[in-house]
Amino acid sequence: MELVDLLREAAPVMLTGAMYTLLFAVAAMVGGLALGFPAAVMRMSRWAAVRWPAAVYVSAMRGTPLLVQLFVIYYGLPSVGIEFTPVTAGVLALSLNAGAYLSESIRGAIQAIGQGQWRASFSLGLGYWQTLSFVVLPQALRVAVPSMSNTLISLIKDTSLVSVITMTELMLATKEVIAVTFRPLPLYVAAAGIYWILSLAFEHLQRVLERRLNRAHR
Amino acid sequence: MSLKFFAAALAAAFTLQAHAADLLDTVKARGTLRIAMEGTYPPFNFKDPKTGALAGYDVDVARIVAAKLGLKPEFVSTEWSAILAGLGAGKYDVIVSQVGVNAKREQAFDFSAPYTYSSPQLIVRKNETAKYHSLADLNGKKLGVGQGTVYEQQARALPGITVKSYPAAPEELQDLAFGRIDAALNDSLMVAYLLKSSTLPVKAGARVGETTRMAIPFQKGNPKFKAALDQALAAAAADGSLKQASLRWFGTDVSRPVN
Repeated sequence: MELVDLLREAAPVMLTGAMYTLLFAVAAMVGGLALGFPAAVMRMSRWAAVRWPAAVYVSAMRGTPLLVQLFVIYYGLPSVGIEFTPVTAGVLALSLNAGAYLSESIRGAIQAIGQGQWRASFSLGLGYWQTLSFVVLPQALRVAVPSMSNTLISLIKDTSLVSVITMTELMLATKEVIAVTFRPLPLYVAAAGIYWILSLAFEHLQRVLERRLNRAHR
Repeated sequence: MSLKFFAAALAAAFTLQAHAADLLDTVKARGTLRIAMEGTYPPFNFKDPKTGALAGYDVDVARIVAAKLGLKPEFVSTEWSAILAGLGAGKYDVIVSQVGVNAKREQAFDFSAPYTYSSPQLIVRKNETAKYHSLADLNGKKLGVGQGTVYEQQARALPGITVKSYPAAPEELQDLAFGRIDAALNDSLMVAYLLKSSTLPVKAGARVGETTRMAIPFQKGNPKFKAALDQALAAAAADGSLKQASLRWFGTDVSRPVN
């Protein structure tokens, strides 16, 4: 079985790459969520001075290719004296990008919660932040989870772009094996399989989360 | 983040550039030479599937040069499409990855003396009946080249050829075998390896175009580093270690010009 030998030979390199992929994806998910929540809240602010920077951020990140963002952060910023390691630059670019998409999912979900919830909460004497965190967000998250999962799962695959900033993640590791074996098809399919397995794990997480957030609605 | 900070950072960057020390002093102080290569270009530089370590002619040359300079080699593997950008941004000191010397690249970077002399060679399907003796014979045909390579620039200079750019050689050869392109153009030193390790129905074609010289690029404005680097390469040529590395990977001495 020549194919089995090929895959066995490729496995150590590709699995190391997959580990980096997973590491980048998880770090960027955390970073993206940390950026997405404040950006969503800022975009709904009463004051233009708060709304405006968040709107520019979301527009710029969604409107430019992730590849260009990676290039600018890693290769462009050193010319103005800001230098990152490849790992930092990769996580930063992926987080900034995912944060913009996530903030829109979150904003949409918060706005889907009826104004009556806010008014009722205010009339009970709760402030803005209390209402947001104890009344609106728990309901909004339930609405937001499916579309946030979309962003987070595509983030797993977007990590393949960090190969341009010297990181040997799954995709570049696969290309390295292909370069010496000249067997693109089976190896690309194997890489796709690994991406799918990683995505399945996050889909499972999504289901658990949805079930949990749905408890009040059964 | 205030504008003031940004302006200060900008100013700092410019003054740094104005008073920048020669690269030789920088690497001597650090004790390491940061070397970039693709890692996907056998037999020049590739990851050995068994050990996972970088191997190949470029790796040997880089080790020899670093040793002659009294520095510890530190390898970085990155994609070809971003490799020159990384050198420009100072992410590493040199690239030892079969970087062909041409006028355009010499405007952006300084180069060491060449350490590989080679020529472009065509690859065609095994059952190909047409004979291509030069690039001009490919008029009206489809030619595959690597993205951002000197071969791509050479092929694009001829208006009659439809040039298809590929990220790497395996994809290029696969498309050649499928008949999507009529010929592929690559380094003749690479071709021998390609044909040996690939099972695709392709064969070597004619050598076309002029001799290409591969050298080690580094950032401009480092005369001391250039002198030391050239001296290291000359010493490696004199004591035979460069020739030995070449014989090991190619069976011939590619480190000096043919005839």
